[in-house]
Formats: sequence, structure tokens, C-alpha cells
Amino acid sequence: MNLNANLLAAPVAIPLLTAALMLFFTHWGGRRRIGLQLLLSTLALLLNLTVALLLFQATAGRGERFVLQMGGWSAPFGITVYADGLSSTLLLLTAVVALAVYPFAIATIGQHRKQMGFYPLYLLLLMGVNGAFLAGDLFNLYVFFEVLLMASFVLLTVGAQPAQTNSGIRYVVLNLLASTIFLVAAGVAYGTMGTLNMAQIAQRLPLASPAVHTVFAGLLLVGFGSKAAIFPLFFWLPASYHTPPPAVTALFGGLLTKVGVYTLFRSYTLFFPDLLIDWQRPLLALAGATMLVGAFGALAQPGIRRVLSFHIISHVGFMLMGLAVALNGNQLSVGFGLAAAVLYLCHHMIVKTALIMAGGAVEIHMGSDRLASIGGLVTQQPLLAFLFFLSSISLAGIPPFSGFVSKLSLLQITLDTRHWLVAGVSIFASFLTLLNMMRLWRESFWGEYRWPDPFHSRILQNKVRQALVLTPIAVLVSLSLGLGILGEPAFQLTRRVAAQALDQQAYIQAVAPLTEQEE
Amino acid sequence: MIALLLAIAVGSLFATGTYMIMRRGQIKLILGLALLSHGVNLLLFGSGTLTPGRPPIFLDKKKYAEALAAAVPADPLPQALILTAIVISFGITAFVIALVNRRQTIAATDIVPGEFVPLLREGDPFDFTEGPQDTDEYDWLAYELDEVYDSDDMPPSWTPSLTPESDESEAMEEFHYR
Repeated sequence: MNLNANLLAAPVAIPLLTAALMLFFTHWGGRRRIGLQLLLSTLALLLNLTVALLLFQATAGRGERFVLQMGGWSAPFGITVYADGLSSTLLLLTAVVALAVYPFAIATIGQHRKQMGFYPLYLLLLMGVNGAFLAGDLFNLYVFFEVLLMASFVLLTVGAQPAQTNSGIRYVVLNLLASTIFLVAAGVAYGTMGTLNMAQIAQRLPLASPAVHTVFAGLLLVGFGSKAAIFPLFFWLPASYHTPPPAVTALFGGLLTKVGVYTLFRSYTLFFPDLLIDWQRPLLALAGATMLVGAFGALAQPGIRRVLSFHIISHVGFMLMGLAVALNGNQLSVGFGLAAAVLYLCHHMIVKTALIMAGGAVEIHMGSDRLASIGGLVTQQPLLAFLFFLSSISLAGIPPFSGFVSKLSLLQITLDTRHWLVAGVSIFASFLTLLNMMRLWRESFWGEYRWPDPFHSRILQNKVRQALVLTPIAVLVSLSLGLGILGEPAFQLTRRVAAQALDQQAYIQAVAPLTEQEE
Repeated sequence: MIALLLAIAVGSLFATGTYMIMRRGQIKLILGLALLSHGVNLLLFGSGTLTPGRPPIFLDKKKYAEALAAAVPADPLPQALILTAIVISFGITAFVIALVNRRQTIAATDIVPGEFVPLLREGDPFDFTEGPQDTDEYDWLAYELDEVYDSDDMPPSWTPSLTPESDESEAMEEFHYR
């Protein structure tokens, strides 16, 4: 089956149009029509998953590339939308995560927040994330970043409780600074190379002076790196992720930092494959520091969601490590590191979302997530306890779950390229992850059953709601198990994806920007 | 010359913006963000070649041909980029102001840490609680949730709460940490 390239517009168009339609049903004739919003967004999320599956099957499965030049304007003049294996893998995972968090959100988000447009915002966030994965030029990437940031600002602060506004300000300011730096990078690109199209930048960058290389790469590293929460730029994440409703945290933890990681992967493989070798040591140092800081930070945190949000940082370090060893000069293993990092990215998106949802369910059931004041949940919610346990050992990297395969492949390539120190650091960080997961498990599920809040909500005692909360966690955990058992085919798939992403010339040819002669 | 002036303007805007963000005070924070975004806009403006006295767009085709023959007309793209960036930063600045306003309102009232703050204030444009409140048949689940969240004695689960075993100072500390 041949796919029409126009399908590339769908991951952006479906959420946008549905969200716009849903705004009509916020308040209609004095009646609350949240139910209709629910129906519409379910349809949109299913449709989005279908499109993502089709694209994934065509690009990662058959190795095709899709380019859509909006309105028929050829490359440097029009808007280029591009999808290859890397972007469609992330599109697929985004669709899965969004669909998985959705029932959890239905069951746990309060009616007030729903009336303030929670579902439209959910879809707008999805649109921003999808758009960032598909953007073919820097300025559109910036615009989609702002779309997803704007949606996330509102999702983070909707309801405006004191903790939410406090953390919201930190989150907004630090993310705005990152966007500003990224916009400066776009300005530098336009000023020095006269183009914003990513294919044309890749074409013209070898002719530019080394100073431009360094400045451009550095600005992108700072801009995207702070979206991805790498070492010195991660402070917005632990300051904010524990304050919104748990469903929002699960969505953010699954999607937001991964956009930063994706853009780092995309820009460094497309623009500066040479810098991946020259800057290997600094990048590895950043990766190691990110892993350690995340893991140690988690060790000191008092609540479930705070521990989990520090772990996001720690795992971004693993992905960065994979990127740093993507091109190591050894021809046999070119792309091996990137393939391992992509596999790790898949594993992380699935498992982290499941784990934050499980932790959120604990928090909702208990009325608090302070480890010091909760405990003994295993007697009350055995199924939740089981799912939490499975997803936490998957995160820690114990076979047969996906964490094991992805960590093993990352470790293999790092040892193979003789970066002993960072490999040791990653093993140590994995050990700390295991330690933290054991701590969470022991404090919240074992011991005497106690809860801090005399009015703790009975949210999980309703059968329907319990099903809505536990089913997506179970689905994600089984996905992780599947990815772990089918580790070899999955890794072959990500190797193809990585090879496709590293093929700079094919990207340029697919987009085919007009050259000076043709103009 | 004009390029030098532009560079100085961009640099000073960035410097002032950074300084303002790092000071205490939320109005200064907003001003700092606005100055930074202006700095970036000017930088984008400078990224096109500066061509004084040559407009980018001619409605008259003949004049356009003349301008092309005489010299290259100005590049209109940076202006389009700046326009987009201005719109985005305007929207975000409005959001930050609303956020800071809400935070000030909360800080000015004597809310006990852990207390659930009413989501809507008087005269809120999004206050849809006035008028008929009949929920339709699609809202079966939402109705269930109202049962949980809207009863007076039950704070939503994600707000910090005074617990039997923790005293007020601990809750205060948690509140400030958050």
C-alpha cells in the first residue's frame, strides 16, 4: 500500500481541528457538554494512533521517507514537513502515550478542570509534540515548540492552586529562556547561511566557517538541551512536575523532554555529524553528569512523583550517552549507539508513563505522595501494587522487560568504544535507580496500612474508575514486556531507523531544496 | 554603522533582560522576559542583510523591475519571522501576567497551607456555574467525580494537607518548597 504524503499533515491537523471543534462544547446553552468533548477527543486520539501506525509501518518498516511541501512551494520557500523512521517512531510512541494517559485523565481529573478546557488543551499539546517531530525547518520547529509549551503552561497551571502557580512561574520562565536561545540559533542560521530549511542548512553548513559551526551547535545544544533537561539546564523539571494533577505529570513525563531529545538527535545527526566525534568527550561528560545528578537527586526526594521526575533527568542522560557514541569512527558499529538510544527512548516513554500513572494512582488513593506518611497499600490495592512493581523493575532494567535490552545495548556500545568511565557511571546510575525503586516500593506498599488524609478520596473504590486507571498501566507494562521479549527484532528495527537518520545525503535529496543554479 | 548600532542594541537588551530576570520581584521578571524577547526580535531583524532605503515589496511591477536592476531589494523574510515571534511573545507575556496576578491574589489572602483555593473568583469570565446546571446524559462519569471532589470536606488529593501526624510547620515547609 502506498501512502500519500498528504497524510503527514494529519498528526497536526487532527488534534488542532478537534480541539477547535471541542471549544464549542465547553459551555453550550447553559449545559455542560464535557461528555461530547470526551467522545470527540477519543475519536481524535484513535485516529491519530492509526495515522502514526501507518506512517511507522511505511517509514521504519519499509525504509521510506515522506516529504510534504505545503501548498506545492518547493523546499526553501514553502513549509516542509518531513517524516522518516526516527520521527515516525516518536509519533507512534506519542500516540500510544497520549491514548494511554487519556483514560487515566478521564478518571482522575476533576470536573472543574475539565470545564476549563482540559481536553482541548490535551489535544493541543499532542498537536505541538507531533508538529515538532514533523517540522522540516527551524522556524516551524520553534512555532511548534511554542504551541506545545503554551499548552503545557496551561495544563500545568489549570486550576491555579498555590503550588501550581509557584511552580508554573519557574517552569514558564526557564522554558521561555530556552526558546529564546533556540530562536537566537535560528537567527544565526538565517544570518550566516541564508536559510531556515533544515535540509538546506545541512547542505550549506559544510561551507560555513568553523566559528558558525561552533556557535550554531552550541546554541542548539543549550536550547534543546534545556528542553530535554540535560545536566546544568534541568531545574525547571523537578520544580514543576509534582504539582499538577498526576495525569498531567504522566503526560509531561512521557512526552515533553522527549521532544528535546528528539530535536537533539535530529539536529546533531543532520547538521553536525562531524561534531559528534569532535565533541564526543564533552557530550559524554554531560551525559554522565545528567545521569548522576538525576539519580542522586531522586535519592533525596520525599515524594513519589518527585522521585520519578528526577529519574526522568537521569534517563535523559542515558539517551544523550547513546547520541554521543552514535558515530565513533568504527565503521562496523556506526549507528549502533543511536539505535540503542532510540530503543532506550521507546522503553523510557512507555515505562515512565506507566510508572508515573501508577505512582499517581497511589497518590490519589492515599491523598498524598509523601513517602513518610503512606504505606501498606499492597493489602488494599494488590493489582496496582503488582503493576507498580513490574514497571519499576522495568525502569531499573531487569530482564525480561524492555529496560534490560535497551540498557544492555547502550552499555555494549559504550564499552565497545572504550569509554570506561561513562559506562561505569551508567551502571552506577542504574544501580541507584534500582535502589530508588526499592525505596518507593517499600515505603508505599509495604508495612502497616496508613494514609495521611482522613478524607482520602475513594477514587479507586469505584469499579469503573479503577478499570480506567489500571487498564492503561497494564497495557503499557505489557508493551514494555513485549519490547523486552522481542528485543532482537525491535533492535533491528531501531538500527534501521538510526541508519536512516544518520544518512544526511538522503535527507537532503528527499527534501531537495532548490540550489542557486535552479533558481 | 547601522549594523554596529543594532548589535549594541541587541546586546544591551539581552543584558538588561537577563539582569531583570535575575532580580527579585515578579514585575521585574515580566519586564525582563519582554526585554529578552525584544532583543531576539532585533537579532532576527539583523539576520537579514540591512539595506536602508530599499523596500522589500512593490505593488508596481515596473518599479520592482527597476529596483531589481538598481540593487537587490530588502529581504522580507526576517520581518515575517519577527512578526510571528512578536505574536508568540505577546501571548506568553499575557499568560505570565495572568499567572503572576493569580499568585499575588493567593499570597495576599490568608490561606492555610493545604487549603483548597477556590478555582474561580468572582466575576471570572470562565465561571460557568451560573445558570442552569443540569448535566446531560453524557456526563455520567463527570457526575461521579463531582461526588468525590465537590463535597465540602474533601480536598482534592494532590493538594498538600495537614496530616494528623505532621504539625503545621512541616506543612508550611512543604508549601514553601512547592
